[in-house]
Amino acid sequence: MKSTAWGIVLAVIVALLAALPWIGNTVLVQFGINVLLLATLAQGWNIISGYTGYPSFGNSVFYGLGAYGVAIAMVQYHLPFWVGMLLGLGLGVVFAGLLGLAVLRLKGHYFAICTLGLALVMTAIVSNLEIAGSNIGLVLPLLRSEVLFYELALGLLVLATLTIFWLSRSRFGLGLIAIRENEEGAAVMGVNTTLYKVLAFMLSAAFTALAGGIYAYYITFIDPVGVFDIGLNVKMIIMAVFGGPGSVLGPVAGAFILSAISEVLATKVTSIASMFFGIVIVIAVMFMPRGIAHLVQHIKRMGWGYFIDNVRTHRL
Amino acid sequence: MSDALLKTTRLSAGYGEMPVLRDVSIDIQPAEIVAMVGGNGAGKTTLLRALSRLIPSRGDMSFDGRSIAGATADQVFAMGLVQVPEGRQLFDQMSVEENLRMGAYKRRDMTAIKDDLERVYRLFPALAGRRRQLAGSLSGGEQQMCAMARALMARPRLMMVDEMSLGLAPVVVDLLLETMTQIRSQGVTVLLVEQDVHAALSVADRGYVMETGEIVREGTAKELENDPEVQRAYLGEITVSTVTVVKS
Repeated sequence: MKSTAWGIVLAVIVALLAALPWIGNTVLVQFGINVLLLATLAQGWNIISGYTGYPSFGNSVFYGLGAYGVAIAMVQYHLPFWVGMLLGLGLGVVFAGLLGLAVLRLKGHYFAICTLGLALVMTAIVSNLEIAGSNIGLVLPLLRSEVLFYELALGLLVLATLTIFWLSRSRFGLGLIAIRENEEGAAVMGVNTTLYKVLAFMLSAAFTALAGGIYAYYITFIDPVGVFDIGLNVKMIIMAVFGGPGSVLGPVAGAFILSAISEVLATKVTSIASMFFGIVIVIAVMFMPRGIAHLVQHIKRMGWGYFIDNVRTHRL
Repeated sequence: MSDALLKTTRLSAGYGEMPVLRDVSIDIQPAEIVAMVGGNGAGKTTLLRALSRLIPSRGDMSFDGRSIAGATADQVFAMGLVQVPEGRQLFDQMSVEENLRMGAYKRRDMTAIKDDLERVYRLFPALAGRRRQLAGSLSGGEQQMCAMARALMARPRLMMVDEMSLGLAPVVVDLLLETMTQIRSQGVTVLLVEQDVHAALSVADRGYVMETGEIVREGTAKELENDPEVQRAYLGEITVSTVTVVKS
């Protein structure tokens, strides 16, 4: 009964979000597109890092590949948008598969540093590809339909979240969690760790690349520095970690809340907005290091003690 | 000897260019408890990792009459060759019961899994009272029980236990060894890999002694315990140190 109630609440929220373009104004819709795409990226990161335990700094690469897939298909070959999305999806997933076979042998910090290095290298590589418009970038045909982009982004986020919901109760997802908790232990319990890790990386890349594709057509101009941006990768990590990595809805909540805070700060205090944003992050890390999802599960039972307990156990 | 459950013929394995195992030939009969003993760095864990197909090897090995030299880790696991790894390798942030359910990860027979859960709780009553507790918060002995119970949940035909006694109090080791004979009576064959030679030989039917990657002695547990060479190298030490402790 309880899960049905939850399902109804979520369905109502999604319906309200879907109706937003007819209720709110253009500014809200534009803000919405950004938030929905960021939430999708946070969910993508959640799969490989939250569930599988491999902290990726290379997810911005899949975002860039998705964006360039759409741009190259539409600008260089005059193909329709959806073909570009498929191209971007293919590029991202295949790249994640090949990359995963190589770098998923590394663990923890080594994996993080390796993927970070790769993200930096990608900017340089794409800047030298003529088909990708070198370092100047590509200008896509203009489509003045923010509502369409908004609904597409919402659809993608719902798809990503449903996938993670399935993951959280599937045998495959349980295998990923086992890898996160103890990879050696998972291997001796019959989990094909290499296969699972690579599949998780590809799944993560798929949603990230699709988000990049939507972004490219929406923003109409992309260049290497803009779409292979490490800053974006940091953003998705902060949002997923703030919300609760390894949970179904945490990263979405994280993306929505942090985007709202950052937007309010940017309009109210402008010049020192990022400092305030930093303070919010520091407070979050001190008082709820396991994210909103964990907080919601434990606050009822522990009350204010939850925050005190966190500060005490982490010796801050 | 042809109906051995596990048989290796001139098995060699190592890490990169470093050979660790050289021409290891062993066999294990169904429902036996076999001890593989030897000092630190003798290659015992490497042998287990090769048998579990976690590292590549040369030479032939067969399980239940079928060659497993070309099999993958999850294939031999599915055949019933299950390892209790050194250091337990539990899922610390999961509860005891979740750990046990991970042991049944490859199985789909839900009702049989439930029965098996109750069966391993009967085997390890200490775990039964701690079903909801996080595995990482258990004592060393309980963690070892949890690791063995997790392996049993996979319905192994051969359970390979690596350094069970490591870091445990002698009274706990005795309890676990006692459980080992119960496990065997339920039809599970056991390969006990141990540095604690005396403990391992006390429950084993047969044993092998390994030194620098080679089998140097084999025989029944009694023969090995009475073997002057084994006594000098492994068992004699214990007597000497006990005497020293008493003196001081």
